[in-house]
Parts: sequence; structure tokens; C-alpha cells
Amino acid sequence: MLWRQAVLMVGLLVAAVVLEVTLLSRLGLPGATPDLVVVTIVAIALALGPTRGAVAGFLGGVLLDLAPPADTPIGVNALVYLVIGYVTGFIIDPRDRTVPLLMGIVGLSAGAATLAVAAIDSVLGDRIEWGQIPQLTLTSALYAVALAPLVVPGVAWLARRIAPDAVFE
Amino acid sequence: MLSRRTRMVLAVLIVASLTFIILDLRGGQGPLGGLRSFGANIFGGLERVSSTVFSPVTGASSWWSSMRDQAAQIDQLKAENGKLRGDLTTLQSDKARADALDALLRVSSVGDYRFVPAEVLAVGPAQDFAWTVAIDAGRNDGVENDMSVINGDGLVGHVVKTTANSATVMLVTDAESSVGARIAGSEEIGVVSGTGEQDSLNFQLLDPMADVRVGDSLVTFGSKSGRPYAPGLPIGQIVSISGSAGDLTRVAKVRPFVDVSTLSVVGVVTRPPRVDPRDSVLGKGQVLDSASSPAPLGGSASGTTGGSTAGSAGPSSSPPASNQVEQPASRAPSSGGG
Repeated sequence: MLWRQAVLMVGLLVAAVVLEVTLLSRLGLPGATPDLVVVTIVAIALALGPTRGAVAGFLGGVLLDLAPPADTPIGVNALVYLVIGYVTGFIIDPRDRTVPLLMGIVGLSAGAATLAVAAIDSVLGDRIEWGQIPQLTLTSALYAVALAPLVVPGVAWLARRIAPDAVFE
Repeated sequence: MLSRRTRMVLAVLIVASLTFIILDLRGGQGPLGGLRSFGANIFGGLERVSSTVFSPVTGASSWWSSMRDQAAQIDQLKAENGKLRGDLTTLQSDKARADALDALLRVSSVGDYRFVPAEVLAVGPAQDFAWTVAIDAGRNDGVENDMSVINGDGLVGHVVKTTANSATVMLVTDAESSVGARIAGSEEIGVVSGTGEQDSLNFQLLDPMADVRVGDSLVTFGSKSGRPYAPGLPIGQIVSISGSAGDLTRVAKVRPFVDVSTLSVVGVVTRPPRVDPRDSVLGKGQVLDSASSPAPLGGSASGTTGGSTAGSAGPSSSPPASNQVEQPASRAPSSGGG
């Protein structure tokens, strides 16, 4: 049922956004903030397939841009995340899921998201400190890899409980 | 390939994103202004709750950077602490030295001794069974063999060896040391000898009938021209007595006033006082309560103890025989009763 999927996605993404801006960003970890939103989007894409992954990416991006204290143009994160959600859901064969592969996908997604957002922002006229980009990309990927073992199985479990008919297998 | 539905969804989402971006970049309160404030309202409440929940974790500032700050701060505080501790130690040792010198000056001024101050340089190893220390004053400072060595608490020992700039002192606790001593407040005399233990001396009375009590203080009797021991220097306090009055050998155990294990500043008595200071050098806490000790001495002895500084010239070196004979008789009842 569609509304169950919507509840699942919106609930997960709102929780991810709130946790990211109130907890993870304030831990003051070196480098990037752990991108819980992108990890959640990838987890949703892995659980529910590429189309729903794209929707989740769009939603997550918009929510992240709406949540205070965001000051980025609404839509940049949405555009990047929807592509990531679609691609990760698309390239992973549900029958071929190993833990290192999943963690690698999550890490790559987070790094790619950092790079892509920076690129779009600079095109749109934001000043980007390119010197920081390698470090930000790398740490973002590392933190995402660290978050993946918690988030990906958790989201898969929730998806099976709440929207079993949509689970991508 | 992609299903129609998927293509539709993707197209809609991408167009929506780009629309958002373009609309938002135009700025102002466009159609997205309402969306933004709606999001801010919803997320503002959620974030307030969440940040309250996580405030113990996030703390006032970020723990990662504060941890690094704290590491630097800890290093700085450690360095400061070490410096302050060093200063404190220096200060304390300076104060201890000043106190020791003060006490020494008190002894010397009360007893009218002239002394050369010196510091203990080295202490003989305990396994040598000799209680000797080296001090940093020698012949050049006027130190000679057989001079008394004192500190603020009393008699330390006497000089047994001198070089140009240092001297060796045999402490009263050395087993070979023996000092003529007098019980403060009376004329009973005897010999204090070291036992080789740091907190115990033996006191052998010459008169076996003499009345000795635990708590009596001993001062030096004084030798000829003050060598090796000047008169009137506090030695110690009797802590126990073996044998009863009349026994041939009556020996008392004496705890020395001077703690030989913590000697620092000492004085070498270069000139003994012209008159015996008697008991006046004994400090507070080195004599029993004034009520208990002089009482049994009778009228004849109280004159000598009371006016010790001025009126003690007469009985300085050889106490009158009458006193000695008189005392055992007068003090015997009190000691027998106790």
C-alpha cells in the first residue's frame, strides 16, 4: 500500500534529518558531518528498489534543505540524492548482497554526494573551498561506511515490517 | 530497461528539483517561502526535542574539538602545576631552613652561646653503625675538634674531625658517644650514652638513690671550657626507668629532643657561655608542667632554677653538696607513693 511506504519513508527521513543536524553535526567530528540522510536513502533504495529509492532521495534532499539551519537552495540536495537513490537501487542485484559490497556502496554514495553538491553549488555561484573537498569527501565516505552496518539492516527490517509488499527482492 | 513508470517518476523528480533550485535562486518570498517556513516550523520543534535529548552527548561544545582543547589545556596545567610544585618545595625548604635557624638563634641567645651555622651535607650510612654526619663548616669557619653541635631542639653531638671547609660530627645517638648530663630542675647528674638507635639514649645516674621521674628533662652538665659539651644544652626527656631507688645500676631511657634523622641546619658552638645557662635553654614542651617538676625541690633549689639566667653563676660547675644530699630524702616519699 502506498501510504505505508510513504509513512515509512517520511518517518525514516525526518528522523535521519533531525538526528543529523542535532546530534551528528554537533559531535564536532573532524571533517564532514556523518551523512545519515544519504545512508538512509541508500538503505531505502536497497530495501525498496530504484524507483522508490529515487523518491526517497528527492524527499530526503528537500527535507534536509528545509530543516533549519539549512541555507542552501532547496533542490540541490534533492537532485543529487534522487540520482544516488535511483542508481544504488538499480545497480545492486538483490541476490548478490554482501556486507563489504553494501558498505562500499554506501561509502561511495556519501562521497559522491559531497562532491556533487559541491559541484552544483559552485555552478550556482556559491564559494566552495576546493582545498577542503578531498578531506570532506573522504571523511564523509568513512562515516557513512561506519553508519551503514546500523542503518541498512535497520531500514530493511522496518521495510519488511511496515511495507512488506514493496520490499524489493 | 527502465519501465515507463520509473522513467515517469525520475523525470518528475528531476524536474521538480530543478524547479525548486531555480525558484529558490530567484530569492525573495516566492512560492518556496511558504514551504521553507513550513519546514522550519515542523523541523524546529523536532530539532528542539532532539537536541534536548542529545544535549548530554553533544554538550555545550563539540566533544571532539573540546577534547583536543582539553588535551592542550591539560598539558598546560600540568606544566604549571609542576612549576608551582617546584616553587612550593623551594618555599617550604626555605621556610624549614629559616625555622631551623630561628630555633638555633633562640637557643644561642637564651643560653648566650656563640655558634657557627652549618648545614648537614651527608649522613653516614646506617650499616656503618656510626651515627655521624658531615657539615659544611670547617677550620676556616672556626670549627675545631670537640666543639658541641646543636640545633634548635638541643644537643646534636660534637665535632670529631675537621677539615678546612667541613667537619664530621658524632651524634649523641652514636654508641660511642657519652655526655655528662644533669636532670633539669635538680642537681642530679649522670652520663647519657648513645645506643646506636636514633630515638633512644641511656642515662646512667651517678647517685643510685637519686630521685628520677619519667618526664624529667636532661641538659648537658658541661665540660671544662665547654669541650666537648657546653653546659645547659637540652638533651632529651626520660621515657622509662629501670631499677628502683637504691639499686646499683639505675638506667633510664631517654628520648633525645633532636631528631637525628631529619637534621638540616645545625650550629657549632664556638664559645660556650661564661655562665652556665642552667635550664633556661629548655624550650616549651621540653619540660614538664611547671607545677609538677620544681615543687619537690624545696626552697634551696627553687632559687637556682627560677633565676637561672642571672643567679646561676654560683653553682654552675660544681653543685653544692648540700643540695644533693638533701634531695633524696625530700623526694623519696613522693616517688614511693607513685
